[in-house]
Amino acid sequence: MRSLRALFVFAAVAAAGGVWVGVRAEAPTDEWATRTVTACDHRKVVVIEGVRADEKLPPAKAQQVADLLQDLMRYCNAEVKARIAKNELITLSINGLPYQQYVPGMEPPIELVRGKSDYGERDRAIWKAELDKLVKEGDRLFHSDEIGTNGIACAMCHPHASNTHPETYPKYQIEMKQIALLRDMVNWCIENPLEGKKLADDDPKMRALEAYILTQRTGVKMESGKH
Amino acid sequence: MPKYLTPKELERELRERSPESERLIRSLANCDRRHFLKVSAKFAAMAAAATVIQPHAFQLVNVAYAADAPGAAPDVAFRFAYISDSHLFSRGMTHRFAKAALKAVEDVNRLDPQPDFVLYGGDLAQLGRADELELGQQILKDLKAPVRMMVGEHDWYLDMGKKWTEMFGADHYSFDHKGVHFVTLNSVVEKDFWTAKGYTPEERMNIVAGLDDGRQSRFEVGEAQRDWLKQDLAKVDKKTPLVVFSHSPLYKYYEPWNFWTDDAEQVQALLFPFKSVTVVHGHTHQLLTNKIKNISFHGVLSTAWPWPYAPTGLPALTLQMDRPDPFDQFDGCGDGTFDMLKIGQLNANYNFWDRNPQSVTYKQIVAGIKGGGPSY
Amino acid sequence: MPVPEGVMQPEVPSDNPLTAAKVELGKKLYFDPRLSLDDTISCATCHDPRAGFAEHKPVSDGVRGGKGVRNAPTVMNAAFFREQFWDGRAPTLEAQAVLPIINPVEMAMPDHAAVEKKLAGLSDYAPLFKSAFGDPKVTITRVGQALASFERTILSLDAPIDRFLAGDTKAISDSAKRGWEVYNGKGRCATCHAHASVFPLFTDEKYHNLGVAAKDVDFKALAQKVESHPEDLAKLSHEPGANQLGRFLVTKQRQDLGAFKTSHLRNIALTAPYMHDGSEATLVDVIAFYDKGGNPNPWLDGGMRPLGLTEQEKADLLALLETFTSTDLSRFDDLVKLMPTK
Repeated sequence: MRSLRALFVFAAVAAAGGVWVGVRAEAPTDEWATRTVTACDHRKVVVIEGVRADEKLPPAKAQQVADLLQDLMRYCNAEVKARIAKNELITLSINGLPYQQYVPGMEPPIELVRGKSDYGERDRAIWKAELDKLVKEGDRLFHSDEIGTNGIACAMCHPHASNTHPETYPKYQIEMKQIALLRDMVNWCIENPLEGKKLADDDPKMRALEAYILTQRTGVKMESGKH
Repeated sequence: MPKYLTPKELERELRERSPESERLIRSLANCDRRHFLKVSAKFAAMAAAATVIQPHAFQLVNVAYAADAPGAAPDVAFRFAYISDSHLFSRGMTHRFAKAALKAVEDVNRLDPQPDFVLYGGDLAQLGRADELELGQQILKDLKAPVRMMVGEHDWYLDMGKKWTEMFGADHYSFDHKGVHFVTLNSVVEKDFWTAKGYTPEERMNIVAGLDDGRQSRFEVGEAQRDWLKQDLAKVDKKTPLVVFSHSPLYKYYEPWNFWTDDAEQVQALLFPFKSVTVVHGHTHQLLTNKIKNISFHGVLSTAWPWPYAPTGLPALTLQMDRPDPFDQFDGCGDGTFDMLKIGQLNANYNFWDRNPQSVTYKQIVAGIKGGGPSY
Repeated sequence: MPVPEGVMQPEVPSDNPLTAAKVELGKKLYFDPRLSLDDTISCATCHDPRAGFAEHKPVSDGVRGGKGVRNAPTVMNAAFFREQFWDGRAPTLEAQAVLPIINPVEMAMPDHAAVEKKLAGLSDYAPLFKSAFGDPKVTITRVGQALASFERTILSLDAPIDRFLAGDTKAISDSAKRGWEVYNGKGRCATCHAHASVFPLFTDEKYHNLGVAAKDVDFKALAQKVESHPEDLAKLSHEPGANQLGRFLVTKQRQDLGAFKTSHLRNIALTAPYMHDGSEATLVDVIAFYDKGGNPNPWLDGGMRPLGLTEQEKADLLALLETFTSTDLSRFDDLVKLMPTK
């Protein structure tokens, strides 16, 4: 008897859901045109009504979408699909459950399926070890004579990476007479005082050097453009 | 190219020239001020046309060397020069560090009049190798004035000074010159950090060669040398001017980079009793000035590369060098001279390459003023 | 003035606003040999529109065989420079324009009063001075202002390199593109011959000792004497070769010994020979000069060093420099017509 009642409730909900879905069919006519924007984790999606798939969002709408996605990132591990209706009503569906009305910043309309983050101490230890490995390689290169051809190492003018000021990039670099990123200046130094061959932007050595230089300034405020 | 005429030749020429140009040339040659003012004031300073120079239009800049000629500065008793921190690799005479050391030798040889002697401030070699030291000796051989050598950590820690002492003699010594007592110390002694870890000589040298390599010990003069110093100074009258040559600064500036002497207080205590004391040190590769009680401290320039200033700040008397331009291998580097004043104190003259020269005089130190303006 | 969008305008002094009448007067003066002592030499003689507004001689010849010591720089785009002359001793075009007139080895007028008197006696100038300045009075200041106004119209910033840097990848050849990489990299040109999109003149407007003067055997000895006995400068400046001291004679700063202004590079292929004394005949020679690191001398700019360029890199650099030539030079055809046909 109990199971039969449960079945009936389920069917009613399903039917309701079905009717609900039925009204909201995504027909490919202009009136129902939608544009979908997906967040970087591929799990948060915003569907904007009234904008075609190939159309660029107007600036105010784009800002609204970006803000909404930022807000939804709170639900780290959930799949969230939000819809912005033409009348600006926002609804969202978490992990495939029915759509609920949503006002940005409000408490989640339902309980999260998983109450905590997926990642723990062990994961964090792995991430740190990977970073330390890259930084250590950068430290080694920074102090070695293999980057240049004349025996000079970066550390000779920059002990402990002092005077590199990576937090001031990008900026107008006087030696290069143009706007430079940190790696541009690293390459300039390789070519000029070190008399070596410059590294490609994606060269593992460049990545290691940048990692070392940047991590020596952890905690310092970013001040791009400052000399 | 026109020939510039001696006054006699000029006279002869003028007699043959046309009246119009004669007036101009004569007036320019004789620095006729009235004529000059007739030319509109705005152009007067520029009326030195490309070929004829108007002598009196120039006012001389207060170049440091102007004070050097004994005739020009009657309070100078004698002068010595310095070359320091060449950090030579054994890559021949065309390597930039060798070229820079040669440039310094040329600078000192060009001094007129010649200095009484030249101090070599330490770190002749980069990795303590025999061929590096020999290259250095070959370069310094061309100096006309006599040379006094001082050792740096880059010279010492490959073979613990064996080659250095063979080539250049004792690492610490004293001498007297024109009534001044000079002491040269080995102030880069380090407590043994290598035996316990089993480092090879090359590993030990590479560790010491890394300014920011924290595995090495802090520099010190050490008890043995302090005892030697005490005995040496006991024979010197307290009124005799005293100059101490040291590679490390003999005070505590910035520990992580060994801009530091661990037993500085004990060494200073031996120096305080003297009336006029100056310490001249290398290692820091920058313009550096300090005064602790009656001791003045001057850091000298490197020929090879400039170090940045310590992130924690610098002694208050130091005129901070602007950041050097790494495009220019000589910027922030150089050599220089010291004037020994008759009062027994030193004026430091920094001969910056690619910058204007900079002097730090004893008068300025006593008055607590930094040198006049940035060096660019 | 035809300055492209986004490029800084050349400075115009507030007491000499640009007017058509001044330009007209300046143009007449520029091409008028009567400004010289014996009516043979005008500004245009050494700053010839047929030769990129410069001259294809190492140094210029003046009145009665007078010989200069400096290569005539181009008037084209000179309006952008912060200072004029190879040693920067003139702060404005107005100041520069009137000095060659009284230089005894150039136009050789005795003094500015004589210039004013001579021009006042030429009846064809009175109406032009009147329409430019309101009254027919001839003063040397006005002469300078008119010439400067004319020179401010001799601008040319439309070259293939500009189009390439604006994004047109087809504007220059592949060789020139490789040359641009060398210019900014191994060639080390960019630091002194700096390019900025708002100031596309390829100069840092600073003064550098390249050792060009060191070819003059007296330079080192003279400079040494000056350095160790600066109180003798007045006497030493008369010695042969003193002009090679360059910027030092203007600033008296030790680091300026033998230093000369970084030339701008627009239309550089048109203005041979090169360097302040015209001692490098072609761009190939110039590239070779830099490749060897200039000439050693105690005050050589620390940025100079042997470059080790390959033949391909040198050829690419040459191709690049040729893209600095403007494509709109036909604008000056009417000025070319004003030159006497010899």
